[in-house]
Amino acid sequence: MATQSNEYSSLMDPASERAKRGAFVFFMLFNFILFAAFLMERWMYGGYGHAPAALNTGLGAGMLVIVLLSIVLTVMTRKRLDAGDDTGATGNLALLMLAPILLIVGTVYSWTELPIGSPFGGVFDLNGIWFVLQFALTALAILASFLKGKRAPERAKRERWVVYNVTSYWLMLAVLWVGFFLDYYVA
Amino acid sequence: MATAELQAQGRGDVAEKSSFHIGMVFPMVRATLWGFIGYYAAAWITAAIMGQVLFDPAPVLFGYLGGLTGWVMGSGIWEGWIRRGFGGAEAPVLTGVDRYFRFSPDSKATATRYVVFNIISFFFAGMAAMAIRVELLTPDSTSWWMSEIHYNMTFGIHGLMMLLSVVSSVIVAGAGYYLLPLMLGVRNVVFPKLLGLSWWLVPPAVVATFMSPLVGGFQTGWWGYPPLAQNSGTGIILYGLAAATLLTSSVLGAINIIGTMVYMRARGMSLGRVPIFIWGLCAAAILLTIYAPATYTGVMMDMSDLVLGTHFYTGATGHPVGYMDQFWWLFHPEVYVFVLPAFAVWLEILSAASSRPLFGRNWAIAGLLGVVLVAAFVGVHHYFTAVSPARFPIFMTLTETVSVPTGFVYLSALGTMWGGRLRINAAVLLVLMGMINFLVGGLTGIFNADVPADLQLHNTYWVVGHFHYTMLGTVIFTWLAALYWWFPKVTGRMINEFWGKFHAWWFFIFFNCTFFPFFIMGIEGMNRRVAVYMPYLQPINDFSSISSFLLGAGFLIPLANLFFSWRNGKKAPENPWRAKTLEWHTASPTPYKVFPEGMEPVVVHRFDDYSEGSPDPVAWDKTGAGESR
Repeated sequence: MATQSNEYSSLMDPASERAKRGAFVFFMLFNFILFAAFLMERWMYGGYGHAPAALNTGLGAGMLVIVLLSIVLTVMTRKRLDAGDDTGATGNLALLMLAPILLIVGTVYSWTELPIGSPFGGVFDLNGIWFVLQFALTALAILASFLKGKRAPERAKRERWVVYNVTSYWLMLAVLWVGFFLDYYVA
Repeated sequence: MATAELQAQGRGDVAEKSSFHIGMVFPMVRATLWGFIGYYAAAWITAAIMGQVLFDPAPVLFGYLGGLTGWVMGSGIWEGWIRRGFGGAEAPVLTGVDRYFRFSPDSKATATRYVVFNIISFFFAGMAAMAIRVELLTPDSTSWWMSEIHYNMTFGIHGLMMLLSVVSSVIVAGAGYYLLPLMLGVRNVVFPKLLGLSWWLVPPAVVATFMSPLVGGFQTGWWGYPPLAQNSGTGIILYGLAAATLLTSSVLGAINIIGTMVYMRARGMSLGRVPIFIWGLCAAAILLTIYAPATYTGVMMDMSDLVLGTHFYTGATGHPVGYMDQFWWLFHPEVYVFVLPAFAVWLEILSAASSRPLFGRNWAIAGLLGVVLVAAFVGVHHYFTAVSPARFPIFMTLTETVSVPTGFVYLSALGTMWGGRLRINAAVLLVLMGMINFLVGGLTGIFNADVPADLQLHNTYWVVGHFHYTMLGTVIFTWLAALYWWFPKVTGRMINEFWGKFHAWWFFIFFNCTFFPFFIMGIEGMNRRVAVYMPYLQPINDFSSISSFLLGAGFLIPLANLFFSWRNGKKAPENPWRAKTLEWHTASPTPYKVFPEGMEPVVVHRFDDYSEGSPDPVAWDKTGAGESR
């Protein structure tokens, strides 16, 4: 095994930034449809009535604020990347990582509110599990981008598509969570 | 640089050569060990926390997840991907044989692993089929061979494994992942590490499914329908998780296929010049990306009912028919994921073998994409016996619509051969046989789509016959054709044509002797999924069973042929089939780098122009010499 030379690594991963970012849209499309199916299941399996009174709307509103703030932060991060300010973007990532962590805590706490065996509680909790899984993976991806920016800035500069894709994915999750809030807490 | 010169340079790249030594398999051994440790550690911890035993649903679920994680981490994914992703040391560069035995971003190594594992899966799932046919040698249920419960488990395992670990990947992954970058004129796919990961997800899912009887098995067939799933045994957990894992693996490949085709084509390769095989792969990938999510949610909700105590499909408030909707939303279109790449292989091979341009190429592409458009609606024929008669004409029409785009593809294949001088080797023979089988499978499918016929034939062996003609008779015949056709590309050697053709005839004869009687059994009223049948059906069942044993034993012939040809076969010329697509313009066996650094192919003419004096479709240029696309 040749461990010293890495001359082939870029040669054998030849996709341009445009290709990496463009192809990632198909990955997001798949996940978007999956989430959309989950959100629709609120009506298919959760009943047509309003959300149960036991649902903690205050907690939901608090999580919504975190999501909206994270959208602003994500847009700022991307603008810094566009401007070539990689150090600034890396700093933003540290802050952005707080969002999925707080949302995981909030979602896990919300599981105690409704019985999982009820139609609404079941689909609410299953959506929550799926969001928690995605939040956790995205938090790890943000952490990876942050550490790469700190420990290997030159490599991070060559692979800026990673940060673009991570932030794109977070934006998608954030928009979907807003949809989740409207679907489950408001409707 | 001329193509011949480039091929010589590829062959002379000595830096890529390394000989096999036993230490190279260490990552696979480590992955296996960590997989088992991960399974038992997670299962034991879960059981201890929840006060359950190891065979309960929750320990099995978390055990599977722990095992999968252990296996993947043992594969070398840490040093090959994750470590550098977090800013750590660079990943090791694997250019030799070792890349086949550990996590590697090389799409050729990934595809090769798929081929080997497909053969292993096909063997074990085929043995399950043999077990089924042994049971059906006698009409009663008191057979010495297996109980009715074991019979139910066996046909479920056979179905799930054949579909999701064999036919779903034999062409798409085994041939597709290898040829995708080569045919598009790039060195690798758009997300090579994701593609590398896709293979490492497959073995744990397959092992878990085959091991499911150890935790009670599952008796639902490959559908996992609730509420039968809930009464089926804890093995249904492994069924659901294995299905979800295999779908994840397929989706990782699908994203690479679409992304690579859209964004990474060689200079000069307009969509009109993209090889038809790539169009077939892309159609299958689009289909999977769009339709898989609904089925994913169905599997997760089913698992949630089993483990978490929700009631989506069970109890007073559950809707079991909802699972059917979610299940068939993908799993009817899934058969087109299997068969569209097979169609595309036909067209690719027939055009080169008859030295004729593809007849109605644009219509063929429209046919491939047309199937994607109508695919989800076709699944409604699974509800004929579950809905009111008012919906029958609508469901029937929607189902029969799929024959229109399919017809485009079939006519394209016939038109390409028409008037050509077809050179029939083993691969072409298998394609022709596959086309005949598909004709039978397709025509019998019309009866399934036709309400009056379907109400009689539903749930009988007629349906099993139809399905095997389209899957085994079409996809597996075409898989073998693809293996033979591109064998010289991958190994640099020719297969033994005599044994290739001998097995093709063996396969064709015993395939038809095994499965054509299924139509007769179905008309005569033999139910599927049941271990017992009426005694008057025994002679025809015995004929089918004996044929199936010969059919199964016959697969030792191509296995031996491929192995001995790989070791001792005749050296292949650079382009043995005189095909014009890009993969034949590089050296064989394909070098690690595919084509030298600093060079890139430029497509200057269409690939299927075989007329006298037609120009070479590929020119080689220095990287960056032309405008980027």
